[in-house]
Formats: sequence, structure tokens, C-alpha cells
Amino acid sequence: MLFPVFYIPGLGQGMAIALVAVTHVVLSHGFAIGAVSLIVLLEHMAVLRNDHELEGLAQHMLKPAVVIITAVGAVTGAGIWFTVSVLAPAGIGSLLRVFFWPWFIEWIAFTLEVLILLPYYFLWDRMRPANQGWHVALGWSYVAVALVSAFLISGILGFMLTPDGWVQNQQLVSAFFNPTFWPQLALRFFGGLALGALFCLAFLLFSRQASQSLRQRVVRLCGGWLLIAGGLCALATWIYFQRVPQTYFTHSLFAVLTSHLAQKPWLLWLGNLVAVLLIAAAGATALMRRRLAAKLLIIPALVMAIGLVAEFERTREFIRGPYLMPGYMYANQINLSQNLYLRKSGFLANAAWYQAQPSHLWPRDPAGHALFASNCGVCHTIGGLNDIRDRLRGRTQTSVNLLINNTSRMVPFMPPFSGTEAEARTLGAYLYALIGQKRSLEAVPPAVWSEAGHE
Amino acid sequence: MNNLHDLFLGKPLGDSFMELLLFSSFALHLLFVLLMLGTAMIAVFFFIHSWLTGYSFELRWDKRVLRVHLALKSLAVVLGVAPLLIIQVLWSIPLLSAAAILAPYWLGLTGLMIFAFLSLDTLGHKMDVHPLRHMIFGVLGLAALLAIPAVFSAVLTLVENPDKWATVSAKGLGAEPGLVFHWLMRYLHILGAAALFGGAFHYFFSTKGAEDRHYHLSNWMVAATLFQVVIGVLLLVSVLGRLTPQVIGAVTVGVAAAMLLLGLAFYQNSEAKHARIGVTLMLLPIILVSMLLARQFLQHQAVAPVQAALADRASQLNSKLSPFKETSFNQFRSHLATVYDNGETIYANSCAFCHGIEGNGDGSEAAGLIIPPEKLNAVRADRQYAYQLILKGVPGSGMPYFSVFDRGKLESLLDYLEQQFHLTARSQPSDHPKDEAAAQQAFARICAKCHGDRGQVSGFGRNLQPAPPDLSRYGLTPEYAFAVITGGYNGTVMQPFNELPEAARWGLVSLIASFRTTQ
Repeated sequence: MLFPVFYIPGLGQGMAIALVAVTHVVLSHGFAIGAVSLIVLLEHMAVLRNDHELEGLAQHMLKPAVVIITAVGAVTGAGIWFTVSVLAPAGIGSLLRVFFWPWFIEWIAFTLEVLILLPYYFLWDRMRPANQGWHVALGWSYVAVALVSAFLISGILGFMLTPDGWVQNQQLVSAFFNPTFWPQLALRFFGGLALGALFCLAFLLFSRQASQSLRQRVVRLCGGWLLIAGGLCALATWIYFQRVPQTYFTHSLFAVLTSHLAQKPWLLWLGNLVAVLLIAAAGATALMRRRLAAKLLIIPALVMAIGLVAEFERTREFIRGPYLMPGYMYANQINLSQNLYLRKSGFLANAAWYQAQPSHLWPRDPAGHALFASNCGVCHTIGGLNDIRDRLRGRTQTSVNLLINNTSRMVPFMPPFSGTEAEARTLGAYLYALIGQKRSLEAVPPAVWSEAGHE
Repeated sequence: MNNLHDLFLGKPLGDSFMELLLFSSFALHLLFVLLMLGTAMIAVFFFIHSWLTGYSFELRWDKRVLRVHLALKSLAVVLGVAPLLIIQVLWSIPLLSAAAILAPYWLGLTGLMIFAFLSLDTLGHKMDVHPLRHMIFGVLGLAALLAIPAVFSAVLTLVENPDKWATVSAKGLGAEPGLVFHWLMRYLHILGAAALFGGAFHYFFSTKGAEDRHYHLSNWMVAATLFQVVIGVLLLVSVLGRLTPQVIGAVTVGVAAAMLLLGLAFYQNSEAKHARIGVTLMLLPIILVSMLLARQFLQHQAVAPVQAALADRASQLNSKLSPFKETSFNQFRSHLATVYDNGETIYANSCAFCHGIEGNGDGSEAAGLIIPPEKLNAVRADRQYAYQLILKGVPGSGMPYFSVFDRGKLESLLDYLEQQFHLTARSQPSDHPKDEAAAQQAFARICAKCHGDRGQVSGFGRNLQPAPPDLSRYGLTPEYAFAVITGGYNGTVMQPFNELPEAARWGLVSLIASFRTTQ
């Protein structure tokens, strides 16, 4: 209510955040945690065995990892923040206040990560051979700091699903060490190690660096690493979902399959089974030195692993359903108590930005569009993903009004409407008029602030 | 009882301490941003320079310059996290509003950064690409890189001009020429500073033993400083109305230091070289800090009142919210306790507000519908047909589709409807006197038009909104069927047929029941 709503045509806000977030998770977990751990391990082994060729291979593997971590991994991390601060300003503003200090410490951890990674990368040659031990120590300390940053972010992410005691006591400790904290940390850590092994395998299987026999040895190591880390990640995931309240957990099937496939629940199990089997097969063939089979399997396995990451993040974000911060804020960034107040006093009267907007920009129905953008725009689009016109097609005007007032009862993961009875009818009339329009007709005027950007 | 307050009203630290934290973390971030931008400018500029002058590619100096980019950029990115965090808490409302007004550009930042960093870092590592490719990626990467501060400075310009938010969000930045001028000068001032700081950095760190490079970079720095003077004057003009003694003081220190720096550049005495280096290294941070201080003073003065007014508004709103807190908390508790994984819960929450908890079609919201909700306890349908109705809804009526529930949930709902309302039972014959001949005649003459000869919906019927049900798969209890035939179904094409003799209507009831072909 305090902020202008930026409505993304076609994609919707949630999907825009998800795209950036999944890229970041794959890279930050897979490269910053997983691949670098493996590389440091290889270097450590090389130093212990005085194996220069192995060391050279480890150094060679570090180069793309560093470029990806610093140019894409870190940037998409900031990118989540950029995206969220525009699409969910009230949400991020509130979260930042609950977790200001963890985030501040997180910043120190990020800075340390960079401050360690850079000398680890740039001084590799210069520290050899006199200070090689220190160089390995530098590598392990990077891994340790990366773990600390995973530790911090797990607390915040866990809070967004299971705030538990915080809702009553507002204590940072209850918010941070929430019920899903430890399993989530474990699953992110082991998941990162497994992803890292997959990335390294893909690199090694298609690389011509170092001798064939050395590559074979390292491939074998990665295969074993993948199987162990993957197994532990699966275990942590199982424990994680045990800790998720049933209210949320029951929507996980729908979260993945969506309304298109939710009538074929077996698809979920089949898909996950295929993914797990493919990844395990890639690990096993690498372990057993079946080079050709591993080469065939690794790319599909990597794609499946990225799919599993997306599946997990989607599930975690979706099942908390009507809430952005359970017990405090709905997904559309309206606080629980605000919602009750707005039903009495009206949404538009309290929306700082609506009053500031010159009405000529939404010629058709400025009030209806503002109500749609603020109440529904976080998940629904007009003409894109989760099109509101598809959702309401076939309904009568009276039933559209009725559905607006009963969203949260009828669909357990939808937030309730925020506004008066008259506003519900305004929105109803706006939406009913939308259903009647053909898709090919001109698009509904975008929110005023998105137009501002195009001029 | 919870005492949740509006989180936006809280701050982890006092404002002045937060501002100090913002200032110092931002200064650190900006330093590396300037070095990164300057490095990229120098690398691309001298690449083109050496290419055009036929310089040997083996000895190319820009390789060495660009190699540092990876490190500088990593530090610039990571050091930017703290100021972003702090400003979103300290000036949350102005910053988040301005970012939202310029959302398309702000959202583009991620893409710009990835493209710029990947292009420049790849060039920094793979130097033997064809010069043309190097040129293309270098120039495009640099352009993307230079666009990043353009976005940030535009957002900050908007943050500091809250009175312009409405116009800008309605008509775009172009509607405020004064703002555009200020932004442009501000942006160019950043680019000039980047050229100067980047030049100084490489002068000391990557020109070892190469006098011609010293010479080139000295010229570069002098040019950058002169550029800064011109742009700086214009920038001052753009904020003329806002200058306070604090701002003027800070700017004066910065300008004095810059003049000294310029003087040093023209003071060509090779014996005093070391002293010159030392003084330059001292002057640069002074310039950075004093200019940044001036900016911070300006920002505070523009933003603090807005943040205070908006926070005040939020706090007033918050006091109005307190009566609702307990109710909202209880609602949350009950939501947590309600698990939509069984037919009973799903029916009670998703269906009963229309169909009524007893299935009488008299739920709390039923009166608001033109077409009344079905009396579920009088429906006798085959299970698959009922499943399809729930899954797909009834277009043209109030019955929405429920594909929001997965198969298991819908099956469980059907189980519940079966147990509770005998929805899938066969309807029992009634013993009312009936005129079967009249019924058959009436059905063929009137009903078949929509319902089809054997109840399986005619082509005409299928196009109705809502279409009639398929009577070979969907039926009603005799009493309710009789009531519908007699009174019609409100809001649909099914009109009252009370002019038919009663026995004929009872005959229709049993005729329809005979259409059922499925269990």
C-alpha cells in the first residue's frame, strides 16, 4: 500500500523472482560451494601426494568456476534483491528489519568469500611451492566462509515458511533457528556438493586437459562424491519436508504439477524417480569408469539436477500459500491485520500511490486495475502466465463477485481480498469485463509505473 | 496474544548511526566501482589505441589492465551489498518507491551486469581472440558496464526528489528536464571520477617500467580531471537551490584537493617523483570522501523529511490496526490448523459457502448468485461425471472449476459427497401417480430440444450457458426433479413447466430416471 505496484505483463511477479532465484541457487550452491570444495580437495590431495599434474588440473578447473561465481553467481544473488525490491518492496522491507544483523553478517561473509577467493585464484602460481600449505588452507577457509553464508541464508529462507515462535514473540533467535533451519542447511550444503560434482564431471568428461588416466581418476572421485552427497541431500530433503506443517505440505504436489497436470499425480513421482535415477546412474558410471556411458548420462543428469533445484525452490515458495511471511504478511504484501482494516476502510483510500496517479492513464477502469494489480498481480497476469481471464472464464458476474470475497476459503493458497464490499464489486466488474475480451484485442493498459519506464 | 507491530516502523539502529554506516560502506563500494569502471574504460580505450597504431599484440598492455577487472568487479559487487541493505532499511520508502518507478531499468541491472562482467572477464582471460571479436565484446561489455551507474544514479536522483515521483511515474523522466539535467551531470561526474581513479590506479599498479604508459596515463588523468571540473560546475548548478553551508564546505575541500592534483600533474620534476606519488595517493581519497559527503548531506536533507512523513503515516495506520491484531492472529492459527487434504475439510471450506454445509444449496453466499447453487444432497450422478463437473466447473454458472486440487484431493471430496449426500447412489422410483404417455409426448415436444432424445444433451443444448446436464449420467431425487420441472431453474433456460398436469410432470421424473445408463 505504501509502494507503487510494478506489474509485469506476461510473466507475473512470482515467476520473475523465481527465474533469477533458481539461476542463483544453481550457481551459488553448485559452483561456490560444490565445485570449489572439490577443487580444494583435489589440490589438497595433490599436495599430499606431490602430484603436479593433479594440481595443474585443479588449477585449470578453478578458472571457469571463478569467472562464473563472480560474474554470474554473485550478480544473480544481488539480482534477486533487485528483483524483489521492486516486486515485493513491503515484503523485503519487512524481512530486512527482522534479519538486519544476519544480513549484515552475511555481507561480511560475502566480502570475506571474495577476499579469499581472489588470492586463492590469482596467487596460486606465486604461492607454489613454498607456501602451498597456506594456499590449501586458503581454499578450505573459502569453503568454510561459503558455508557460513549458506548458514545465514537458510535461517532467513526457513523463516519464510516456518516462522514458528516468532509470530508470538518476535525474537530473532526463534525466527532464525526455526523448525526447518537445520534440514534446509543440510540439504543446501549436500545439494551444493552434489551439483558441484555434476559440474566437475561435465567439465572433466568433455575436457582434454591433463592425461586420460588422471582424468579417469578424478572422474571416479567425482562419481563417488556425487553418490554420497546426493544421498545425504535426499535424506535432508526428506527430513525437511517432515518438518513442514501439513497445511502447507499438502499443496506440494500441486506446486510442482500445477493445474495442468495435478490430475495425474503419478507424473510427479515418475519425474522425480527418473531424475534421481539419472543422477545416480551418472554417478555410478563415473565411479565404475564407464567413460562413454558417463558421457552420455552427464548432461541429462545435470539438466535433471537443475530441474530438482527448481522443483524444490518452487515447492518451498509456493506451499506457504497465501503468505509471504506466515503469520504476518500475505503474498500480496498486505499484512494480516491490515487486510481486516482495509475491508472496513477501503483499499484505495489507503493506497498511497493510487491517489497520486492521474486517472487518464488507465482509461478503462483505473480503480479496478489498481485493485487487481495490488490484490492479484503477484500471481495472476492478464494475458500471460496464470491468466486471470482463464481463471474466471465462464463465470457469471455475480459469481465473480462472490469468488473475490471467498478466495482464501475456496483456494487455501490464495490470500483474501483486501478492500470493502464496494471495492470487491468494482474489481468484479473490471474482471468480468476482462473475461469478455478476446485475447487478441489490445492488452489492458499496464500499470502507470511500468509505462513510466518505456518513455 | 501476539503483539505484532508493523515491521516498517522499527529500525535496528539509530538513524545517525545508520547514516554513518551507509556513508562508510558506500564510500568503500564506490571506490571499487570507480576503479572497475576506470579499468574497463582504459582497457578498451588502449586496446583500440594499440590496434589503430599497429602496436604489437604480444606486448599489449590492455591485457594486463583488463586482468585486474575480475578482482575489482568482484569487490565492487560484494561491497555493494551493505549499502543496498542499509539504504533499504534507512530510506526504505524513498528508495523502494524510486526503484519501483524506474522498475524496468532497475530490473535490467542484473542482465547488464552479467553481460558486462562475462564479456570483460572472458576477454581478460582469453586474450588471443581475433581483434575484431575483442573489439565487439570489449565495446559492448563496456557499454553495458557504463549503463549500470546510469541506472543507479537515476534511481538515486529520483530518491532525492520525492516531489517529482508522481510526474515521473506518470510521464517518465523526460517530463522533468531539470531532473534529467541533474541526473546526466551526476552520471557523467561518476564516469569522470572513474576515469580519474582508474587512471591513478593503473598509473601505480600496471605501468611498471614503461615510461610511455606513464605518459599516456598522465595525459588521461589530466583530461579526466579537467572533465570533472566542467561537469562538477554544471552539477553544482543543478542543485543550486539546495546548497547548505555543509555542502559548500565539503565541495570546497574536494575542489581544492582536485586543483592541487591538477597542479601536480603539470609540475614535471622527475626528482620529486616519489613525493608526487605520495601526495596524489593522499589527495584522491580526500576528493572521494569530501565529494561523497556533499552528496550525503544533499541526500539527507531531501529524503529525511519524506521518510519521516511516510513513517508517520504508517504509524498512524498502525494504531488503527491494533483492534484487528487478535482476530488476524486467530485467523492465522485456524489456517494453520486447517489441512485441505480430506473431503470433509475441502467441502466445508471450498464448497459449503455456496452449496451449504448440509448440501441444501443454501450456503451463506448462495443468495448472491443469479443461478442458485445445486442442492447437492438431491443429486444422483455417476462418479466420473461428478468428478468432471467439479474439475471443469459449469461454464455460464457460478460453479468454478476446481483444478486447484490434485486428483487425490478431488477423489477424497467425491468420497465425502458420496457418504454425506449419497451423490452417486441411483435415484429411487417414486410412487406418485404418473401419466407416462403425456410425459413422453411432452419430453419429445419440449424437453428434447435441449436435453436430447435420451437425455444426452442436444447440439442446441450444448451451446447453452450453462448447458443442461447429461441426463444419462446425472440425475436428481424424484422430489427435487419434480420441483425443478415445476419451478424451473432460476437464471437458466430451464423454465417452469407448471402448466403441465401434475401426473405428466411425475411421468417426466420417471422418464428422466430411466435415461440413466451408468451406475
